[in-house]
Formats: sequence, C-alpha cells, structure tokens
Amino acid sequence: MTASRFEVGRGVKGERRPEMIAAFALIAVPMLLFLVLQIGAIVYAAFISLWRWGLRGPRSFMGLDNYTSALGDPIFIKAITNTIYYVVIWVPLTMALGLFLAVIVNQKLRGQTFFRATFYFPALASSAAITVVWIFLLQPSGLFNEVREILGLNPLFRALGYTDNQNWIGTSNTAMNSIIALNAWTTSGTIMLFYLTFLQTISKEIYEAAAIDGAGAWQAFRSITFPLLRPAHFFVATLLFIGGFQLFDQAIIAGSKGGDPNNALTTIVLFIYRSAISDSEFGFAAAVGMILLVIIFTVTLIQRRVFGDAPSW
Amino acid sequence: MRRPWRATAAVAALMFTFSACSTGGTPAPASGSPGASAGGSASPPASSYDPMSVSGTVSLSGWQSTGDEGKALNKVLDGFRAKYPNITLDYQPVATDYATAMAAKFSSGEPPDVFYVDSFVSPDWIDQGVLEELGPLAQERGFDTSQFFPGYLDAFKDKDGKIYGFPKDGNTLGMAYNKDMLTAAGIEPPTTWDELKTAAEKLTTGNQRAFCLSSTLDRALAFIYQNGGSLFSDDKTQNTVNSPETTTALQTYLGFFKSGQGGRPADLDGDDWCGKALGRKQVAIIFEGGWLDPYMKSTYPDVNYAWAEMPKGTEQATLGFTTSYSIGADAKNKDTAWVLLTYLTGPEGMKIWTEGGIANPSRKDVPPAAGKEILVKGAEYAKSWSFIPGFSKINDAFNNAMTAQIEAKSDDPAPVISATSTAIDTALKQ
Repeated sequence: MTASRFEVGRGVKGERRPEMIAAFALIAVPMLLFLVLQIGAIVYAAFISLWRWGLRGPRSFMGLDNYTSALGDPIFIKAITNTIYYVVIWVPLTMALGLFLAVIVNQKLRGQTFFRATFYFPALASSAAITVVWIFLLQPSGLFNEVREILGLNPLFRALGYTDNQNWIGTSNTAMNSIIALNAWTTSGTIMLFYLTFLQTISKEIYEAAAIDGAGAWQAFRSITFPLLRPAHFFVATLLFIGGFQLFDQAIIAGSKGGDPNNALTTIVLFIYRSAISDSEFGFAAAVGMILLVIIFTVTLIQRRVFGDAPSW
Repeated sequence: MRRPWRATAAVAALMFTFSACSTGGTPAPASGSPGASAGGSASPPASSYDPMSVSGTVSLSGWQSTGDEGKALNKVLDGFRAKYPNITLDYQPVATDYATAMAAKFSSGEPPDVFYVDSFVSPDWIDQGVLEELGPLAQERGFDTSQFFPGYLDAFKDKDGKIYGFPKDGNTLGMAYNKDMLTAAGIEPPTTWDELKTAAEKLTTGNQRAFCLSSTLDRALAFIYQNGGSLFSDDKTQNTVNSPETTTALQTYLGFFKSGQGGRPADLDGDDWCGKALGRKQVAIIFEGGWLDPYMKSTYPDVNYAWAEMPKGTEQATLGFTTSYSIGADAKNKDTAWVLLTYLTGPEGMKIWTEGGIANPSRKDVPPAAGKEILVKGAEYAKSWSFIPGFSKINDAFNNAMTAQIEAKSDDPAPVISATSTAIDTALKQ
C-alpha cells in the first residue's frame, strides 16, 4: 500500500518532489509544536483529570470523581452561569457595536481614518491596564458617579435601585455588567475591523442596483449588507464565543482570585485557575478544563449549524 | 483574604515589609541571652553540630519585594555571606505571582533550597509534601524554637505538631484610630466591646462613620475569637463554628454595617482595604496591621492617628499574620539550606532584618521597634492566620456569605455560619 502510494506520488509529480519535501519540512515544525503543545497538552490534561493530582506526593486514581464533584460544586455551577450570562449578553452586544461602528466608518466621511483609529484604539491597550482604569472610573467616588451627578441623572439611577455612590464593580449585582460594558467597548474596535474587511468585499453595484429600485439606507442595510455579511457573522461570533468562555484577565483583576464580590466575577477559567493554583488540585482543575473544552466545542458546532456549513470567506 | 491588589501572598509580603522599627518596646520575657542558646524545649548535645563546617551553595527565593524591603534583605544576606564565607548564596526573587511560580517549581521537583511560605498556604503546602520537616533537625542541631511567638510558629505546624517552617517576621491586627476624631467625640480608644459600641455611636456623625470594617474573614475572625468563638477545635479536627459565641460576634459585626456605623472599604472609597478610609478621614477607627504605617506616612502624612490594642470581648484576641522561611522537600542543598534558614530566623539575622525598620520580629528575644510595641505585644496572644489544607474554600464561603448579608443590609449571621460550616465539613472530610 504505502509503496504504491509512494510510486504514484513519484510518478505523477516526479519533478516537483524536492518542492514537496521542502513544503512538508516547513509544515512539520509548526505541526510538531501544535501536536505536542496543543493536542499533547489536551491529552495530558484529560489524563490528569482522572487522578487526585497534587503538587507532589502520592497520586490516586479517581476515575470520573473529579467530574462529578465539579458538577456538584455550587461555585462551579455559579462560574458556569456567570460565564454563560457574560457570553449571552456580551457577544451580541459586541457584534452589534462592532457592526455599527464598521458601517459608520465605511461611509465616505471626513476624518474616516481618524475615526477608524479612534474606535480601534481601546483594543490596543493592555487588558490589565484598561481594567485598572475601568475600576477607577467606576469606583464610588469615580468619574462615572461624578458625571451622572453633574448631569442630574441620580434620580433616574435611584429609581433603578442604585445608590449615589454605587460601587459598580464591588457590588454583586452590577459587577459582571460592568465587565461586560468594559469588554464590549474594548473589543468592539477589533470586531469593527473584521466587519470592515468583509464590508469592503461587498460590491458597490449591488447597492447601486438597490438604490435604483428605490431602497433606502435602512432597507439596503437590512436586505443587502446584513445577509451578505453572513460569513463575517459566523467568523466574529465564533471568535467572540470562544473568547467569552475564556474570560479571565478582567475577572481576576477586578475581582481578585476570589472572583469577588460573592463570586459575581468567578468565571470558568478563573475557577480553573483557583482550583489549580490556590488549592493545588490539578486533577480537579483539569477536569473542569475538559468540561470547558466540551462546552466550547459544542457551542462552536451549534454555531456552524446556525450559520450554515463552510462559510465562504 | 482580600487585600490591596491581587497576588495575595505578594501583598502579604508588602505588609510585613514596611514597618517602622528602631529601638525599645516591650521587653522580651527574661529567658536567657539573645544569642543562639539551646534552651527551651530543645535540649540536645548541640556542640556536635558546627554550621561553620558546612560549605557549598544555597538558593533562596521569595516574592519580589519593595525597594526598602530589598535593601533590608540585602543587608541580612550580606551578614550571612560575611559570617559563612564557605557558602555561596544565590538569591532569586520571584517577580510574578508567587504561588503560581512555586507550584511549577514544586511539580518539576526543583524547588529553591530556602523560600518564603505564607502562613495562609502553609497547611496546603505541608499537606502536599513539598516542605521539609524541620523539627528533628532543630532537635539534633540545637536550634531553639521556643523563642518564636507560638501564634506565629503554629502556622507552620501540621496537625501532629511537626514543624515545616520558621517564621521570618510577623504582624498582628491592631486598632488604628484618628486621634482628632476621638478627641472631638470626647472619648478614649475603646478597650472593650461595650466601649466599642459606645464609640460607634459617638463617632458616627454627618459623613463620618465610626469604623471601616472589612467584610472578610481575615479581619472578622479576630472579633469571633474575642467573643470566645472559633472555627475549629484546638486540634483542628472538629467544626466548631456553629456556636452562640460565633453567632453573637458575627451579629455584632454585621450590626455595625447595618446601622451604618461601619462601612466596607468597597463602599467607602472603592478600595479593598481600610487604609484609604482612615487616610481620607472618612472613618475614625480601622483594624489593620503594621503595613498601615508606611502607607499612611507616604500617602496621608497629615492624618493624626495612633495604635491601640484590639478591644477585648470576653477574651483578649487578635490575628497573627506571618511568613516563614522553609526548606523544599526536594531541595538539592539541605545542609547549606539549614545554615541559611537558621541564620535568617535566628536572633542574629532577624535583628538585622527588623532593625532596618521593615518588619516586626517573630521572636521574643529580638526587641520590637518604636511605635510597634502594641502590634508586637499582640503577638503574645495572637492566633495564627493558618488553618487546614483546603482552607481557601472555607475562606471564600465565609467572605461570599458576608458580602451577601452586608449587601442585603442584614445582621442575621445564620447564612454566614451555615455556609462556613458546610465548607468546613467538606474540607475536614478530605
């Protein structure tokens, strides 16, 4: 079998053999790294997840006990619901915001480059730095509270149940929303960029034809732009879902290791980190990691179904 | 335990770090010369062991320190190099998250020879078997462990009393109060819970609250202890949190939040500890440790504050926070490590370390610094901030339940006790 395949390869493209060898050699290096560091790590984590695995000392086989105890842990359940809440709100919000910005900066308007750069700017800042700035803005005596006082918006906020010096990130019911707002803002620039790329592939002629048929701006957007951006929606949504399920930096910086207050900022990844690093329960943490893998995998598959197979980009 | 910034351990380090020191203070209990005497419980033929005969290399690691701490540590390390020229010392501070970095080193079987262990994580590390037991060596080589304050040394013992680290310094919680505010209210610093309650009323006026109180266990537990409550039995095998003493203590503590006499730092100024609230004169009294002093000196030098002992409930009690020097179970150079360890935690090294004005001594035979007498006196009755393996989950359960009660403006301690009790039962079973 192998011999004959080899024969065929040589027979058909004999003169291109050196080229092929070079190509495979070049692919081999990243492939090897990928197999060892990505796939290898996943397999190893799957192995560890079946054990009671500490820093050192005796390890004992647990079977699926780590999985059952993870799924029975109320804090893990809270981490899952927090993460899903985050993803469900943040992904559509960021997509809408990114698309909105992309459509705006795609117009022929004065200072186009300036706006593109400005909207993209937050994506350039390090997530750690911008989270710290956000914490300052949202603290009880921070800019946000000061501004709404000056604007006379406090009665409105009071009606919604927020005190005048609300600690947005430090209070359970507003902590996650604060992080969603932060990340929607910082990520929308990148999403804008993706949408912009796809927008520019849409032929102008389609819009011209629509204009002749009497379509207004909104109708053109609804009937042409939005549906034609389908591959973009798939691409962006996949990216955001995966990123959303991996929410960590902002959560740990704003809520420390504990995901404070009251686990409002405990996400799945933060929970994994805490189990492994604070509690030295590597087997348990690996089991949670495998559960996260399954979640992300499933969601991505569902997305493919929703947006159709093999998007054409 | 939530303190400024995220890497708990690293911050704990900062805290023990700055603490003005100089002379005087509470005299050490008369127990012989401050030299490395082989007194106390250890009564071995000490003469057979001579540290001067040990040679080789030794590696030392700890979390990245502040500039001032770094200078003080260098001074101690210079002292070591001068005294033991045959030993080559390799100091490698960890700049990133300490627990993470150490976990990687432990699991690869290549820990530093000597390194810091935070009292809060020590039960976990002892349980994981990454620390070398030190008791037999101390016995055999005549190192006197009886001079360490028990509240500090206990943090590095397992449940059988075996020792896995010697405290390098320590800090206790005390009561820091704004002198001007107390004078204006016409009261003395409260010394009992009754006085504390009176002070709470008198000191809450206008925008000023009496206390900044942390909702976390690393502060509230001091009050639980003061009322005779506890989390565990003395041998740490029984869950004792569900007691009338703990209930009353928590009800009182939660009551300060409910009445508005006390506020969480998060609600006062968005910070995660109380130093800022004292500095900004939002509150009259806070309960913190020696780490407050350098902060106030650098950020709020105009605030006229002083220290007093924690108020007494049915008992005099406070919490002791400490860090040890320990030896890795997989350390390559255990003999040189022992020499370094006993120099750093012995009277000679600790004197250099604490006289630089950086930390408070963990030994009775090293004098405390001026202004630190109250906090060092607290070490005599402090209980250590160190419990059982897996305690961080109990800590989280308590803190989260407290947050929920405070946000609900309730002083009912039952949900807190119930959540904590469940977490304790789970941890004890493991």
